[in-house]
Amino acid sequence: MSKESNLDKNWKKDFPIHKQEAAQVSRRDFAKFLTLVSGGLMVGSGLVAAKSYFLPKEGVEGEHFVCKIKDIPVGGTQTFVIEGSKIPYMLIHLEDGTFRAYEQKCTHLSCAVFYKPGTGEIHCPCHEGLFDAKSGDVLAGPPPRALPKLDVVVKGESIYVTAAHEQIS
Amino acid sequence: MSTFRAGQNQANTKKLNIILSTIIFILILNVTIQIWLLYAALNNALENNREILIPAFLASTVLFFIGLGMLYFLPNGNNNSKEILRKKDIYT
Repeated sequence: MSKESNLDKNWKKDFPIHKQEAAQVSRRDFAKFLTLVSGGLMVGSGLVAAKSYFLPKEGVEGEHFVCKIKDIPVGGTQTFVIEGSKIPYMLIHLEDGTFRAYEQKCTHLSCAVFYKPGTGEIHCPCHEGLFDAKSGDVLAGPPPRALPKLDVVVKGESIYVTAAHEQIS
Repeated sequence: MSTFRAGQNQANTKKLNIILSTIIFILILNVTIQIWLLYAALNNALENNREILIPAFLASTVLFFIGLGMLYFLPNGNNNSKEILRKKDIYT
């Protein structure tokens, strides 16, 4: 047997020539892969539900001092972090004299948001998200959720924050 | 006695192509809906809304089992074509 005919024989063994059969195998594998992805998404949904029920997010407990009223002018903001937490918050002194406190992390991709004085809007510079300064609701842009907020309690000249009512109930 | 599987394996290749394409289309549809369900569940979980989480998980599970059932109909290939190829000595 010549070398050429031997090579030719082995080559045909290693590579199926019939194109349709090769294509059928790859489409079957793709369908099985899609089923695997579907299973992964199902497990992901389950994990999200399990985490929410068995490992809920710890809310803010008690009242936490932020600053004095005189430290934050009208239209100004004060950033702060609660003890035991790494989440940055932002206290806003609105033009109508009231105070609001929100997480400073944008709900889109966690960029730091800032308050635009005089507009009543909180702006995220990364993707031009806009939140309402009075409620934290999304006004424009890609953020999917409102800014998580804290209740502000004013006692004399001091400003405190506590968990929002939705978290307590 | 001819079974569904035996009949399918003897089917025309065009029919097998259509079956495969339909199964893949349904699976892609399933995965798309499951992605949407996961996105909605995540957003609600982050807002502390728990009402939707378990229904979303159950819906995702149902879709997964539908997709798994589709695999039963996945054709093995046309046995007639394999026979013809063997006769032409392509595999030797």
